[in-house]
Amino acid sequence: MSAITVASTDEQVELWKMKKLIKGLQAAKGNGTSMISLILPPKSQIPQFTAMLATEHGAASNIKSRVNRLSVMSAISSAQQRLKLYTRTPPNGLVIYCGTVITDEGKEKKVNFDFEPFKPINTTLYMCDNKFHVEALAELLETDNRYGFIVMDGNGSLFGAICGNSREILSQFTVDLPKKHGRGGQSAQRFGRIREEKRHHYIRKVAETAVQVFVNDNKVNVDGLILAGSAEFKNDLSKSDMFDPRLLTKVIKIVDVSYGGENGFDQAISLSQEALANVKFVQEKKLIDKFFSEINLDTGKITCGLSDTIKALDMGAVETIIVWENLEAYRYVFRDASGAEIERFLTPLQEADRGNFLDSETGAELDQVSKESFLEWLAEVYKQKGANLEFVTDKSPEGSQFVGGFGGIGGMLRWQLDVAQLGGEDMNDLYYSDDDEEVPDEDFDDYF
Amino acid sequence: MADNGNANNGANEIDNVTQKTAGLSLNSKAKEFKPTFNTKAPSFVPRTFAPPKPAAAAAAAEALTVADAAPKVMSISLGSSAPKASSAKSEPTSAAAPSTISISIGDSSKDSENAESEAKAEPAKEEAAPFSKPEDPSSPATSAAPTTAAAAVAAVATEQPMQTIAETREADDDVLLDEHFKEHLNVIFIGHVDAGKSTLGGNILYLTDMVDKRTMEKYEREAKEAGRESWYLSWALDTNQEERAKGKTVECGRAFFETAKRRYTILDAPGHKTFVPSMLGGAAQADIGVLVISARKGEFETGFERGGQTREHAFLAKTAGVRRLIIAINKMDDPTVKWDKGRYDEIVGKLTPFLRQAGYYKADAIFMPISGFTGAGVKDRVKPELCSWYSGPSLLEQLDEQKAIDRKVNGPLRIPISEKFSEMGTVISGKIDSGHIKVNQKVMIMPDKRITEVVAVYGENESEEPMAVCGDNVRVKLRNVDERDVRSGFVLTDIKNPCHVTRAFEAQLQILDAESIITAGFRSVMHLHTAVEEVVISKLVHKLNKKLQKSKLPPPFVKTGEACIVRIEVNKTVCAEKFSDYPQLGRFTLRDKGNTIAVGKILRIAKAGAAAANAPTAGGAATAAE
Repeated sequence: MSAITVASTDEQVELWKMKKLIKGLQAAKGNGTSMISLILPPKSQIPQFTAMLATEHGAASNIKSRVNRLSVMSAISSAQQRLKLYTRTPPNGLVIYCGTVITDEGKEKKVNFDFEPFKPINTTLYMCDNKFHVEALAELLETDNRYGFIVMDGNGSLFGAICGNSREILSQFTVDLPKKHGRGGQSAQRFGRIREEKRHHYIRKVAETAVQVFVNDNKVNVDGLILAGSAEFKNDLSKSDMFDPRLLTKVIKIVDVSYGGENGFDQAISLSQEALANVKFVQEKKLIDKFFSEINLDTGKITCGLSDTIKALDMGAVETIIVWENLEAYRYVFRDASGAEIERFLTPLQEADRGNFLDSETGAELDQVSKESFLEWLAEVYKQKGANLEFVTDKSPEGSQFVGGFGGIGGMLRWQLDVAQLGGEDMNDLYYSDDDEEVPDEDFDDYF
Repeated sequence: MADNGNANNGANEIDNVTQKTAGLSLNSKAKEFKPTFNTKAPSFVPRTFAPPKPAAAAAAAEALTVADAAPKVMSISLGSSAPKASSAKSEPTSAAAPSTISISIGDSSKDSENAESEAKAEPAKEEAAPFSKPEDPSSPATSAAPTTAAAAVAAVATEQPMQTIAETREADDDVLLDEHFKEHLNVIFIGHVDAGKSTLGGNILYLTDMVDKRTMEKYEREAKEAGRESWYLSWALDTNQEERAKGKTVECGRAFFETAKRRYTILDAPGHKTFVPSMLGGAAQADIGVLVISARKGEFETGFERGGQTREHAFLAKTAGVRRLIIAINKMDDPTVKWDKGRYDEIVGKLTPFLRQAGYYKADAIFMPISGFTGAGVKDRVKPELCSWYSGPSLLEQLDEQKAIDRKVNGPLRIPISEKFSEMGTVISGKIDSGHIKVNQKVMIMPDKRITEVVAVYGENESEEPMAVCGDNVRVKLRNVDERDVRSGFVLTDIKNPCHVTRAFEAQLQILDAESIITAGFRSVMHLHTAVEEVVISKLVHKLNKKLQKSKLPPPFVKTGEACIVRIEVNKTVCAEKFSDYPQLGRFTLRDKGNTIAVGKILRIAKAGAAAANAPTAGGAATAAE
């Protein structure tokens, strides 16, 4: 993936961190209305906000409830302290979150965040609520171009959009259109008319739904529109005067797909790749496609699975490491009896196995020094290991295969590396012979 | 399912009872249909010969002696015969049917019909018997033993009360087949765009007088006005405006014609790549394929290239269950060809190895030169002055010569629904893959388990039929079913032996053309009989080597050309059967982005249980965690 420069890789990692932060903040629940969200746009005057906080602090001293008063006042004073650290607003603005959060165990925990967003943020916000307000940040992530899709075939229509690396289905409905009738006879004409009428109604319905989905407040909410479908429907739609002219001007491509529904949606995305080249979702598809084709060609220049990838990473062989953004894995650091540190990477499945917490030689219990999210660790160290980091979703068909088939982690290598050399096993040589038939696992019968 | 298998195996060693009941076949046409069937389906023959006349007679005599015992048995057996007997009233020739059928089903005593209909059954029976009497002499068995049908019924019932359903089911075959002595064949026309499939189909309809001359002249006139004179023949099958305007078929067209020997349904598949899904729907109903190849210079080549539909269609037809292919080298009259033997041989030479690869060996692939437009070689043989080097049979002769197909007439009813519409009630249409259907029969629509009743059965030429058998392409009007409750892809089955419904199954896959690799989580569209659903491969279970041995460990991925065993989850509940039980409902095709990715057969079906909703997410999480 030489096309993606280091700079954009950095931005990606930033994006991912932001996403994770937003997720964390969103989930946080506070005690009373004591959680402060403060957002300063670029070029704003810090003293102005300091003054405002001072006023708020004074106002808060009038709160009747003692518990609430104390927590609000302490939150405001921490915000003031944070603000003091800055002499002037950073170029991209400033975001501060302060408050007391109740953790899963029911304990109270003080939380203070202050950071500069990765992109200019054009919002002014001061809120004192029982939750953190992260909408403005979430919007930052979605400033990429948004493209709408209408996938139309004889069985139904699907309205979707892709934006950044998210692909969403906005609306979907099915229709029952009469098929063509083989025989003639006296009712052939009548059937023909009914058919035409129903098709006409269908196009009308699609045109109307398109307006509902893609037009908000008289403005089209997508930057481009792609019409996809089998047979003539999509062309009929684009030519029809029922189709909103505002949407018509946005149509950038009409593609032929063989199915409707989600499969048609995916195919339409693939077919309009050139038009959508700068959309993250498409880049992601391309990246994983490249990964798959390396496997297909058997170049040996890839690695997959958690342990193999980390081994390759430590050797400095990995050029690009691809991970699923929701990958659940942890990095443990243990200390053994002799005081040496051992690093282990475990998935939740492996965590359940106590054997992973024991010394492999002596069998003694290991002292756990630290536990952290694997992804967070990776986001910190990927540069030292000389790799590029790419986060992917499981929204695209390729992404779904990557997560389902490779556990959501893999890497493209600089040079060929024999996996067997790293302790992997070649599993394809072992086949059951005809007579020692394996026992089918019975759980499948109760699969559902 | 198992019943059905037994029935086929057991057919050769038919036990006395079946033969005896077969002997009661009261149709004089019995001998006429025999030649058609005895080649391929020996199971029917022994019964039509009906050798054990003396046995039947003896049994009948015995029945008379044990007549005292008979009434009790009759009341059981006749309970279920009520609906059939009433159908007999409207159709005297089938009067023999109720008498034999009543034993078969009555015996099973599983029948849902119960005692309440017994009272009705008695008089109905009485009516049936007189009908059978006058016809007695025509049947060798009953003439030898001039007893009434009712007595024989009692005899069988008393002698063998433990008979299985499957065995006795066979008893009514003869009757059904007598009615349908003219076999029905579903022919699909496949091939590349503009090979002349619709034109050939239209010309066949014209030559067999299925489309009258005036309509054809009208088409010709209209086509001329549209400046598309050469298209007029195809207009008989391309009925939609947009199809006529562009001259290309979009949906699978259907038509019916009849020769002296057989009845045929033409399924005219669209040749365009984007309409392959529609072609697959047609192929699922077909018994035999006609691969139309354009001999015109350049057209054959484009159709045969990678990505041309000649290849894909032939492959798909094979996997859809089309066992034999007639390769019609079309457009031999074209100025660039002029019935040139060299060109014909060139095409045959190029196609033969490819067809072998697709699974059509020499005996299953028959070549012939024709001209769909002029009609040369279609109905009548090619005139020697046109083509001196080919003197073989014409296309229709060739179709007539095809060996009969072994039908599971006695199997449980299975009609995959290919389309539905409402015309004074809900009408579904489809090909009967197994079993037979009668008016007033209770049937079930799977996977919804909706029980309904057959109001009317329409044959191909719009005529109302009392019954239809496996192989027929029928339309069935159903009682008390809303049009919205039925979708194409549903299956009409009988109540006692409904098909399996499932959302997951294990299948053997052969990867034909994958873009890169296939792993767990691979999403695609599945074509299974007439159903089209989105599926996801939830797990790769085994890889198979050349000898079809299973790998001990699940492979991480599979590539083009490899075979594997996978678990597949379907978006919606579908009707499916194991391939070994029902090839037609057990084979499927996976397609994605307009390409055929893989073909497969179902090995194991997961039981549809309670926690259906949770399973996919749980499975996904498990694989992700690995």
